[in-house]
Amino acid sequence: MRRRVAIVGYAQSHHQHNMQKTREDMVFEVCKGALRHAGISREDLDTVITASTDFLDGRTISSVFVGMAAGAFLKDESKVEEDGTFALYYALMRVLAGTHDIALVEAHTQGSTMNAHQVSCFTLDPQFDRQIGVLNDIAAAALQARMYMNSHGVTDEHLAMVAVKNLSNAAANPWAHRKMAKVSVEEVLGSKVLCDPVRELMMSPVSDGACAVIIASEEKAREITSKPVWIEGVGSCQEAYIRDRDLGRLESLKTAARTAYKMAGIKEPAADLDVVELSEKFAHEELMAYESLGLCREGEGKRLIEKGTTGKEGKIPVNPSGGALGADPVCATGLVRVIEAAKQIRGEAEGCQVPKVRRALAHGQFGMCAQKNMVFVLGGNGS
Amino acid sequence: MEGKSEIVEVKTFPFPAGFNWAVGPMMERFIRTLAGRKVLGARCPGCGYTYVPPRSRCGQCQAAIAEKDVVELSGKGTLISYTNAHVAPDGNGNLKDLEKPIVVGAVKLEDADSVLFMPVEGVKPQDLKIGLAVKVRWREETKGAVADICCFEPVG
Ligand SMILES: [Zn+2]
Repeated sequence: MRRRVAIVGYAQSHHQHNMQKTREDMVFEVCKGALRHAGISREDLDTVITASTDFLDGRTISSVFVGMAAGAFLKDESKVEEDGTFALYYALMRVLAGTHDIALVEAHTQGSTMNAHQVSCFTLDPQFDRQIGVLNDIAAAALQARMYMNSHGVTDEHLAMVAVKNLSNAAANPWAHRKMAKVSVEEVLGSKVLCDPVRELMMSPVSDGACAVIIASEEKAREITSKPVWIEGVGSCQEAYIRDRDLGRLESLKTAARTAYKMAGIKEPAADLDVVELSEKFAHEELMAYESLGLCREGEGKRLIEKGTTGKEGKIPVNPSGGALGADPVCATGLVRVIEAAKQIRGEAEGCQVPKVRRALAHGQFGMCAQKNMVFVLGGNGS
Repeated sequence: MEGKSEIVEVKTFPFPAGFNWAVGPMMERFIRTLAGRKVLGARCPGCGYTYVPPRSRCGQCQAAIAEKDVVELSGKGTLISYTNAHVAPDGNGNLKDLEKPIVVGAVKLEDADSVLFMPVEGVKPQDLKIGLAVKVRWREETKGAVADICCFEPVG
């Protein structure tokens, strides 16, 4: 990249089922928190980008009161739909363009406003699929899971092992929603069947939550912090509509990762990355992502979870924070992954800390069956 | 009010919104043709990808697809995935338990590339598997509406 850009501050909420707090208050707290963490003030911000979805917020132009709570009063401001990583991408481009030096990125969803699974139905083709009326994101994920499992001999137990890893990792994360320190494969398999093979504990919880990240140009970043986390690579790609894509693979994630790796100079992801934070809305997506991110060969995702390679003590820890299975404040989920990855690099990941992290990957997604994917590669030697 | 929210609950959603979408000539023909118990697709003249329901723009190669590219399909296909759905959104933002699980199938139609997501009926649980040959079951009286396609069922 022509201009180096770094993450210099961040904050997230205690993600939970129903926060009993207004959206404005929730956003205010994380934005103030991120400014405090960076040690700068609202006056230092050049631009503010927020991410949310009007359908999930339950109102049109839902950013109307969010911008002010985020510190955007009389500043350059914009809103991006869907995941917070898309907003980070937008903010990054503004700083790279040289028109802005310091940007605040905020993302949020209160799942308690309108259940995200209900909203998923409204993303379908109104002329056909919505009229047939049997598809929603859970059923679609189940169809994807079975297709993937059938192709590669993946079992229900493999999916449960992903859930066990992430939910027990979440227990050490003070910000996570679904914390289950002692959860077992049997307990996951015994949890409520939603759409088989998907059980309740294999699907992310519907959370209320928000987060904010502050990025700055190299010059400003070095003034602000001694522990900048550099954005070394970024890639974005999306699939065709659900009727016209191969559901059995995450091809767009593969392309997004390849783009980000090229920019960051990563040749062997499994060796070059020290930690990975994924937005896996369903357990099977994590196994599919191992393959798309090149952490293993196609069809070998199950081996990584069998061998503990992606466990907190493994060779390439994935989701030491608990990932999206640990908390899913929908539009904030990807940006939370960026924060968790940055925390690992700065040595600020508390109970989730993995030793010696120099390079981390953060993934965001949106749409049924991970239709759109975003990959960030972060680097630094903070700790 | 101890420990309880002071936020007043406001319920204004879902709202009764009516939208008028133009379906375009291809989709209109698809819907009307269902009355005659026929499924139409559209084959891209650029890359050969066949869309069901038909589309007038190809996402794969960005070619324009015209009415001459409409093809008639057999209505038969293969089950490439399925799930027994035990829950569904209730329309008010919650998940409800279905009285009886329904089978949702991903069906790849013969001579087409698109995958349809449809209810599958008339299959014994032990026969439900990827690769099952299925066909459209039509509603008893068809009238040229998407609802003419009742579900998919095993061939024979
Ligand atoms: Zn084409």
